[in-house]
Parts: sequence; structure tokens; C-alpha cells
Amino acid sequence: MSRVYREPAEVQAREDGRPARFVWRGRLYTVRSILEHWAVNREWWRETDPAPGGASPREIAAQPELAQPELAQPELAQPELAQPELEYWRVEASAGRGFPPGTYELCHDVAADAWTLRRVVD
Amino acid sequence: MSESRRRGTASEFTHLHVASSYSLRFGTATPAALVARAAELGMPALALTDRDGLYGAFKHVQACAEAGIKPILGADLALRLPQARARVTLLAEGRQGWASLCRLVTAAHAAAAGGASPAVTAEQIAQHSAGLIVLLGPASDVGQAVAARRSDLARRALDRWLGLGCEAVIEVVDHLDAPGSTHRAARMAELAAQRGTGAVLANAVRYLEPADSVVAQVLDAARHLVPLGSPAVTAREPADALGGARDGGAHARNSRAFLADAPTMAAIATRIATALGDTALGDTALGGTARALLRQTAELASRLCLDPVRDLGIGRHHMPEATGGRRAGSSRAMAQEATRELRIRCESARPPRRPGLSGRRAARTARDRMEHELVIITATGTASYFLTVADIADRIRARGIRCAIRGSGAGSYVNHLLGISAINPVEHGLLMERFLSPIRTTLPDIDLDVESARRLEAYQVIFDAYGEERTACVSMMETYRARSAIRDVAAAMSLPPDEIGRIAKAFPHIRARHITSALRELPELKASNLATPQLATVFSIAEKLDGLPRHVAMHPCGILLSDATLRDRTAMQRSAEGFALSHLDKDDAEIAGVIKLDVLGVRMQSAMAYTITEIARTEGDESAPDLDAIPRDDAPTYAMISQAKTLGCFQIESPGQRELVRKLAPASVDDLIVDISLFRPGPVSSDMISPFLRTRHGLQAPSFPHERLRAALAETGGVVVYHEQVLRILDEMTGCGLDEADLVRRHLSTEHGPRRTEPWFRAAARRRGYDRRVIDRVWEVLAAFGGFGFCKAHAAAFAIPVYQSAWLKRHHPAAFYAGVLTHDPGMYPKRVIVADARLSGIPVLPLDVNTSGDGWKVQEDLPPTLPADSPCAPLLPDSRPARLAVSPSSPPAGAPSAAAVPQLGVRVSLREVKGISDAEVERIVAGQPYASLRDFWERARVSRPIAERLVLTGAFDSLYPAPGPASSSAPQPALELTPEPAPGAVPRPSANPAPGFGFLSAPVPDPVLPPAPAPPTRRDLLARVGVLDRAASRASGRASAGSAGSSGAGEEAPQLFDGAVTDDWLAGLVPPGQLRDLDPAERVAAELDILGFDVSRHVLEFYGALLAGLDVVRSTGLARCRPGETVLVAGVKVATQTPAVRSGQRIIFATLDDAVGLVDLAFFESVQERCAARLFGSWLLLVRGKVRRSGAGTGGAPGSALVRPDAAPVAVTVNGAECWDIPALEEVRVSQGMPAVRAAMTAGDTGVAPGLTGGQGSPGPPAQPMIYGTGFALSPWAEAGGPGAALKHAPRNFWHASPGSSGQTGTADE
Repeated sequence: MSRVYREPAEVQAREDGRPARFVWRGRLYTVRSILEHWAVNREWWRETDPAPGGASPREIAAQPELAQPELAQPELAQPELAQPELEYWRVEASAGRGFPPGTYELCHDVAADAWTLRRVVD
Repeated sequence: MSESRRRGTASEFTHLHVASSYSLRFGTATPAALVARAAELGMPALALTDRDGLYGAFKHVQACAEAGIKPILGADLALRLPQARARVTLLAEGRQGWASLCRLVTAAHAAAAGGASPAVTAEQIAQHSAGLIVLLGPASDVGQAVAARRSDLARRALDRWLGLGCEAVIEVVDHLDAPGSTHRAARMAELAAQRGTGAVLANAVRYLEPADSVVAQVLDAARHLVPLGSPAVTAREPADALGGARDGGAHARNSRAFLADAPTMAAIATRIATALGDTALGDTALGGTARALLRQTAELASRLCLDPVRDLGIGRHHMPEATGGRRAGSSRAMAQEATRELRIRCESARPPRRPGLSGRRAARTARDRMEHELVIITATGTASYFLTVADIADRIRARGIRCAIRGSGAGSYVNHLLGISAINPVEHGLLMERFLSPIRTTLPDIDLDVESARRLEAYQVIFDAYGEERTACVSMMETYRARSAIRDVAAAMSLPPDEIGRIAKAFPHIRARHITSALRELPELKASNLATPQLATVFSIAEKLDGLPRHVAMHPCGILLSDATLRDRTAMQRSAEGFALSHLDKDDAEIAGVIKLDVLGVRMQSAMAYTITEIARTEGDESAPDLDAIPRDDAPTYAMISQAKTLGCFQIESPGQRELVRKLAPASVDDLIVDISLFRPGPVSSDMISPFLRTRHGLQAPSFPHERLRAALAETGGVVVYHEQVLRILDEMTGCGLDEADLVRRHLSTEHGPRRTEPWFRAAARRRGYDRRVIDRVWEVLAAFGGFGFCKAHAAAFAIPVYQSAWLKRHHPAAFYAGVLTHDPGMYPKRVIVADARLSGIPVLPLDVNTSGDGWKVQEDLPPTLPADSPCAPLLPDSRPARLAVSPSSPPAGAPSAAAVPQLGVRVSLREVKGISDAEVERIVAGQPYASLRDFWERARVSRPIAERLVLTGAFDSLYPAPGPASSSAPQPALELTPEPAPGAVPRPSANPAPGFGFLSAPVPDPVLPPAPAPPTRRDLLARVGVLDRAASRASGRASAGSAGSSGAGEEAPQLFDGAVTDDWLAGLVPPGQLRDLDPAERVAAELDILGFDVSRHVLEFYGALLAGLDVVRSTGLARCRPGETVLVAGVKVATQTPAVRSGQRIIFATLDDAVGLVDLAFFESVQERCAARLFGSWLLLVRGKVRRSGAGTGGAPGSALVRPDAAPVAVTVNGAECWDIPALEEVRVSQGMPAVRAAMTAGDTGVAPGLTGGQGSPGPPAQPMIYGTGFALSPWAEAGGPGAALKHAPRNFWHASPGSSGQTGTADE
């Protein structure tokens, strides 16, 4: 059985991308081993927000003056697509000595450098 | 460094499984880009293993040679298993391996008949296994079994491959695309170890960088015609042996299939080895497994490196060993035999002597020239090539197909003697060296033009003569351009279909990579509101599809000829037309050393052949001219050309050419050669035209830089026009010889060529005694000339059909128009040719079921069919500036030779009817004549919509003639006076001519016609078609009880109605006059909709009141307007062009048909901001602009001062400043009157492109012109054309669109 959370987590990763420690719900977990590793592209085609820092289409619709000409140039949208992967790590981790290890699934949005705790396997 | 030391080091890796963009809609990187990256990463070699084809092989080999790495070749093929599909990769070892690979790929395509995708069976692979390595990866049957954790099945599958005698190697790939990916890869390595089979590591590459996976995802969606993220992408891949959904990275889920560097691959190997340690072998194999995997990969790679010369036959010429069945022994004996035969044929040839060449001297010149060329041909070993081409040309002509030479081959006298070329190069000063010389390494190209309609027949002649083992068509890739890329990306991203069409059609035909800059720079796009953040992703990815191949097609003219080993050197597939299609494109053919013959279908050749047939049919065989024998000095023909009455003629009908021939006034074939050569970007760029024209018309004495250059330059009055002149100048000034001179000329056209050539040229010329002033002057010309000048031989080859078509137009106008209208060779829509025919006194006869044929036919024009109100009737005087208000008039001057055959007209072809099928045309013609509509319905058995269209266009009018003097096509008087609103025809522009309608008075019908039985109206006939159709379906329903439907085209149905349906019964059901007839506006609407052009009246007539009120000038009156005078012109837009012009501006040239002629317009960049969208979006245009006159005395540059207006013929153009949509203005006039029209015109807010109001689009930076080395600036958007559909046809929905709202960017719907 597993529970799905999709909650932000703070992760300390090694140079090669492997998570080493993470903080979730205020508790620090140490990764004991990597069980699985895979990657899937984001559903970038559903994303309508322009590049970070620009106004969103909805905001532009409300305030046309936000629509700077640069926004119309796709070059700005590209850096976002340059890292289209979501990296998944299924790890065995525990919250410290004395706590039993559990199986956790972390997801790393490479472009946004944002980590989420996807699920916990009981 | 030795191979063994390089092998296996962790810093090197060779990819053995790589898909380039030649894996259609799969790979995203060109072979060259992949090779460049591999070389950059320090890789010793790179494989190319495209899916289902070898299209990229030679490009890969070429790129590897340039990058200094070794090529490996293979193919990724679908494997047909008893219950499933899989994929395997085949790699070629040595020459034998390459031959096996070619044959196997050919076999895969041969099995793909009927639209299935190419695939092979394991048995086929075994059959061609010599020199092939079978790579069994995740998508193979073995890999799928491993993925399904069925090690038993995996072992059995692997054993089967080994049992078939194939050298099988396991391919380990770990893309991390799902949980368990690495473990699966490890189990593959483990299986190999268990069975003692080799295993290699690969990355199944399909793009350069991780970020490109986005493009790969779009391609996957486009390939499967599903939206992104659709589960169907996986489901539709061939289901694997075990019912799973994997196909080895066939659909991109993540970004790992990139060309990874060696450290990354080593890391993957270690990762797999670690997983292997976890699962099976304990700690012993750790590290060792990774090393073994990498070592085996390197070993296999070094075994598979191909030698381009030894293994692929690059660098040799593979000539046909036989010409048409004749065989010879060794290649040297063969070459000697061919040389001997060529000499015999040349010596026995008696070229027809043309007047102008004097006897003995000419004979000696010719003899010397022949010997000179034979020496060159012997030295280059190309004798058998000349014989082969001559043989082919003979065979094509023997089939009665017109065949002419094109290109530099016309410079060879041997070609002339062999009968390949109709041009005597000695006569026109053409040079053999421009075509072939001993110091050129490439094979010469002899290109043949044949009738377009019989091109495939000509191909068949060649295939029959040389056999399919030696012959194949050249392939070419259709690639993504702006419109197609936007379509596929937007579809993948699930935009609504009509939205996709609107966006795509808003773009002109440009490259996909220019989408963003086009949005910024093109005025008509700035106004379109497409530059939104929502579409930014679509455009950004569409740009990345730029140039990716999407479809393999048959090259329009290339044919490969080789020896019997052709199929060992290229893979073949079957083209849609049924010919063997090589995977080589035209560049590859050259690299592969295979002869390529260009056999191009030329519509004008078909048009001329048809013209001759029509002359023979109407005047008897003895009257049909032999086009290749007519004298080439016919004064009336040149007079017609000089008056620019050249519509329909080959090459000289465009607005620019009509202007040029008027200024140049050609009087010989040599003049035509000059004319063709001058109408090129090169002469325009180095401003050759004006000095040439000045000396030609005696306004300026010819000047030569040096007396010794007179011989080279005399023919063009001192101006350099031709490549041949450059060769002669270089030869004269440096003594380098003509063959060397041609190399120098080629070098001059390269980017740094002029800079590098200059010191050599100056030194050599100084040694030959030229002073510095002369050298400076000549060098300036040569450097500017660059690669832009034109090959005179090429122009000479063009000049012959130019002259022939003009001669036909002058002497057999009716047959000529029939030919041109049937084969549509030109740039204009047919309405322009139709109008030209009328204005030349050749009436255009309406469609008639009893006399219309398969093509347009010359027919005697019997008086009743040409009523007084025909638009052929005189329109306007051309004695003074014609204003629309001026009414009755004399016929316009300029009928080519109307007096010669005044009684002939041309009859519209049945093929012009929208949607008519070949079989229907055939049945109609076979059944002619028909006695009644019922008779026609019963015997011609056309579908109901076709019958209705025939009725609407008046094709039955001659069966139901009106009694009395009034003609059948005259409008019904009573209806003319009280028209009812026609459903659908929304604009209805003055269908009922208002009083004071002076543009063209409609016939005033006699109100007291004698009472006579009226014929059925077209609406009556339409109703009768409905009755017939219902009766037919009832009859057939009785017969077969079920197959109803609206089609009367029953297959057999000998007697549909059992005699129950008679003419009288039909007339009783729908009596004549029951329904009102079509009014003139409705007739024209029907013609535009069904035929695409107006026959009964000119569409502009319906706007007479509007145009008269605005004082519009007609084309015939423009010549008499003052230069610089501001005028209004109006007409149907028949052409828009954006050609390359000297200033680097993008000028839009447009042409309007205004019923009495053509108005040529130019719109400069300064006005495009407000004009472009409407100009491209509207079909009927009103334009305000300034009259510009140019002639021999002017520079030809816009706005330049007139030197001597009376010295030479003058051409008139209008420089447009504003334009409006006529139907939109008419709507204003009808609802609010003329003052409101003028107000709307001032406000500028009428017509298409609603987004344009008030000049919303802020003027962005103008497009940056591209500057060439010669100083020639070219707008990047030149030649890109306009948005929307091609102008060849009237917008079909024209009359049904509301003028005010039709302004979507895609008005001109296809």
C-alpha cells in the first residue's frame, strides 16, 4: 500500500543528482539506499505560463500593457523546455537512528529545481 | 595511436545505434550535426542506423570524412514475427555487409506494399546475413521477453537467431524511462553472458541534446497522428511479442536518448553493472562487467568502420555497362569501344544547316570544334555517358514525346551532333568547357525536358531500355517548412483544427526557422495578432522542426543509371508512381558516382504538343508545323514579343519579363538569350540591365575595358552577362585556358573566392601586358559578377521553347490558347489566359456537353454563341486615358493575329468542372452527342453534383436553345428587370445594373418578344436532374434493393428507367419556365465556383457603378497617364510576387486583371505596413498609386528620371500606395452611397484584416537584408511569396463570403 502526498520537500542531493537527505513535514530523513531511479518529461505542452519572471497570460489579458514585445518571442520560453525532465527517486530512508526505515518516492523538477515528496510506501 | 590502445579506454565511446533526421518523424538531428558532435566529443567513429531506410547514409559518410572520424552504417528495421512486431538493428561490415544491408532494406520496402510500413522477417535477415551483425536491443523479440521477465522465452528467441546463422549481439540500453529500467538492462547483459553472445552498450540515440526530446515527443505525436500525452502513442506502436507496450524508446518519455559523451556512457555501464551485482552474480563481476561491456562495444565498432572507397565505391564512376542492351567486356575495352562509336556517330551526323552560317569556314570551325570536344570526352572517359543520353533522347522521341535539352549541356557540339540538343553551340558562341572539362572531377549533367503530361511515360522508356537492376528514380525529402511545422506542432498540442489552418495559412511559404523573425518583420503578419504568449511554444518548437525530412518523394526529374550492381550500392523502394526509387538523393548520387540524368516534365512542352495536335485536328496533318524546323527569324513573332503580348509564352510572361522584353525589343534568338540571362538576380544586382539597354538602343557607344576583350564582350555591348564571357575574359587576360577559367569562375562565386583569386588574377594579367587601370576595371566587374551571372548555354536552351511558344501564339493563336489552357504551364490563373484570348479576338466558348472535350478545343465560333453582350465585345477606347465612365468603344488593339483566323474560338474543357473524375470525362466524351438532359443522364452516368454543375455553367444551354433571335445565353428579360435575391449570394453587387451604369452596358432586352415556347431555364434543368436522380435511385433500389445514394454513376445499369422516364414525362413534371433563370451575377458566381474563372462576363462588371463613381483608370489607359500621376486602378488580383531586387527591399509585385488588360503594381516597404494584409487577403482590389514609366532610356530602377521617353518602348507600372477591398466598398456604396465610400477609403478601415484598424501593429524594425559578397542585398523574405492559398484559382467561396467579415487571414481557402 502507498499513500500519495505530492508535498514540497527540501532535499539535499549529491553531485550526480542522488538525494542524500530530505526534510518533510519538519522532519529530517536520511537516505539509506536508492531503490529505483527513472525520469519522465513534464507535460510541458499543458503549461501555459510564460517564462519565470514574465506575466502570465491571464494577467496580460487583464492588463494589456504587461504584454511587452519580448514576451511574444519564443526564445524566452525555451530555457524552460531545456530541462523538461522530472526525475523520480524511490529511496529507502529513515528519520534518524531508532526510526524504522521506510520507502519514499521523491520527484525532482529539474527546470524549477523543486522537489516533491510524491508518495510513501508502507 | 594504435587501434588497440584506443580501444576500451573509458574516455572513448562509439555509438552503434543512432537515428538521424532521416529516420522520418523520429530523429531530430541531421547526420552532419551528429557527426560534428561525435568528433567534438573525441569519438573515433560514429554509426548511423536510421529507421527503415538508408537515406542519410552517404551524408553520414561525407560528414565523417570531413570531421575526420570513421563511418559505420546500419539500419533499424521492423521485424515481422508470427504474432507481433519488434525492431532490430542491422550493422554492415565491409563491402559485403553494405551490399547485404542495401538488399535487406530493399526487401523490407518490397514487403511494404499497399501502405504497410516496411518490415522484414527473421528469415529474410538470415538470407542476407553475409557481412551483417544483428543487434538485439530492448525493442527486439529478445529484449521484450527480457522486459517481461520471461528468461525462458528470451533464451529461446536468442537461440533462434543463432540457429538462423546470424551473428547476433545483445544491445544493452538503459534510458531510465520507467522503474526497473536499469534492472532490465542488467538482465540483457546477463543473458548475453549466459549464452556466450557478445553484448554492447548503446544509447539508442535520436537527438543531440536532452532538451531536443521535446521535439522528439512532437514527432512521435505527429507520426501517430495523436495529441501529445495521448496513451495511444504507446498503444499504436507495434505490439510486442508479449502484449506489452514497449518498443524500445520508440516513443520519447524522457530526455535520455541523446548523443551522450564517453563519461556518461561509462557511468551508465557502471550503473548496469551495479544492478547486475545486486541481482545475480554477487560481487565478483563488479567493475569487470562495465569494462567488458565498453570493451566489446569498442571492438565491434572498430570492426565495422567502413572504408568509403573500398566498401562503398565512392570516388569511382559506375557507368552503365551497356547502352540499350549492347554489352562489352572489360571496362577499358568498353571505354574504347564507346569512344569509337561516339566518333562514328558524330562524323556521320549532318546537323541541319541554318541560314546565316557561311559554307566552308563554318564547316571547318565545326570540324575543329568536334575534334576538340572528342578529345575532352575521351580524356574524361564519358563517351558512354554521351551515347547513353543520346540513346535515351532517341527512344523518348521515338515514342512521339517532345524532348529538348536544358542547361549547360547545350554548350556541347557533340550533344548537337548526336541530336540531343537542338542548339548549335558554334552558332551562339557557347563553350564546351562550361559543361565538361578534363580538370573537372564531377560527372556532367545532361538534362532533358519532356512533356510534363508524358513524363512518366518517358521514365518507362528508360526503365524498359536499361532494366530495373540498373535504373532507379532519385529520391528527395520533403522537409518541414513554416506551414507544415506549425500544423504538426499545433495538432500535437491539441489546438482546434480550424485554428491550426488559420495560423498556418497566415504565413507565407518560408522556412520554419524564420517563423519568429517573420512575425516580427512581415507587415501582413504583424497585423495578424499571432505573436501571443499562448502560441509562443508552438512557434518555438515549430522552428526546431525546420528542415527535418517528413516524407520521401520521387525527385521531379532525377533518374539514376548505373551498372548491374546498382542494387548493391543503394536501397530501393517503390515510388507512389510504381517506379524503383533509390534511397540516394541527387547529392548522394554524385558522391556515389552514379550517373544522374535529369528528365524534367515541362508543362510548356505538353502545351505545345497539344497545340500541334489541335492544329492537325482542325486544319489537317499537313498544316501542323514541325516546331524544331521552323525558321527562327520570324519577324511577326518578334514584333509580338516586343509589344509584350507574351502572356502564355514560356518564361517571358511575368510582369518583370513583359517590362523587359518591351524595353529590349528582341529580334533574334540571340536577343532572347540575352533577355533570359538579364532577368536574373545577378544582372539585377550588378546593374547590367541599364547599360546594356543604353548601348543596345544606341543611346551610348559600347565600351570595352581593352581592345583585346572586344571579342568576348561585343555581343552584349561591353556588358558582362554570361558565364561564357567570364571564361573568355579570364582566358584572354591570364592565359589560363578555358577549362581552368571555369574553375576560377566557380571559385569566384564562393564566399572568400574573390579575395583569394584577386592576387593571382592581377599577377597573371600584368604578365600578359595589361595595365593597372584595365585590370582594376575588369576585376571590379568580375568580383561583382560573382556566381550570379548566367550560363549562356542554359539561356540558349530556354530560348528555343520561348521562341517556339511565341511563334505558335503568333501564327496559331486559337490552338495555342487551347494548349496553354489545357496544360496550364504558366504562372497566372487561367482567367488571365482566358482574358488574353478574348482580347486577342479568340472568343472563349462556354462549356457544352456536346462539344466540350477532354482538353480545351479549337472550334469554329458560330455567331449565336457569341451574343452582343459577351465580354468579348469591345469595351473601351484606347485612344486616350480610359476612364470607366467612358462607354462605347473600339476593340482593343493587340490581337496577335486575330485577322488570320477570325472565326476560331476555344471551347472550355470538361476537366475544368470542379470535382469531375477522369471516368466521367471519358464517358461524357464517348457518348457525345446527347439529345437531351435525360439522354445525357442515362448514357454519361455522371454523379448528381457533376450534372448539377454542368447545368449551372450552361453546358446544356445548346440543347435547349431559346427561340427567335435572342441567344441561348441571353438573360431572361422579365427576370432581369425584377431580380429576386439569390440565396447564398450575399454580396450581390449590383446584379441589376443601376441607371447610369456606364462601365459596360448590359443588354437592354426587347420588352416585346414574340410569344414562343420558352426553353427550360437552368433552374428548371437543375430540378430535372433531381427528378432523374430520384427516379434512378428508385430504379436501382428496385434492382439491387439497397445501393441508393445520390450517385447516378451506376456501374452497369444499361437501362435505368425501363422506358418509364421519357423527355416528355420530365418536361411534364418540371415544365419550362417553372423556375426563374440564373441572373448574370448568379451565372458568374456559378462559373467562379465551378470553373474557377468567369466566362459569361467579367466579374468586375458588377462593380461598374462603384468604379465609375471613383473615376478608375483602366490598364489600356495607363500608358497615356503622366509619369507620377496619381491614379486609381481596379481588378482581380492574378499574381503576387516578392522577387529578389537590387535594393534589398522586399517589394511586393502584384498584377490585376481589369477586363481589358493587366495592371502591374509594385508596393514598396514604406507602404506595406498599411497595405500588405489587404493586398494578400483580398481578391478584388482597388489600388491608388503613382504611374511609373520605364523604358530603354531609364535605369529601370523605380523612380529614376526618364532620359528620353520617346527613344524606346516604355513599360508602365503603378507604384501602389493604398489599397481597398472592392466588395467591401461596394457594400458601403449600396447601403450608404458614394460619399460614404470616399469617406471609408479615407478612413482606410474597409476590407480585410480587421486587426489592421488604425495601424495597430507597431512598426517593428525593418527586415535586415542579407548582403552578399558582391554587395547585392537581398531581402530575407524575397521569393517567400504571400500568405494564403496559391492564386492559381479564384477563391471558391468568393461570392458566398460576406465582404466585411471575410477578412480572416485565410480568406483564400483551398
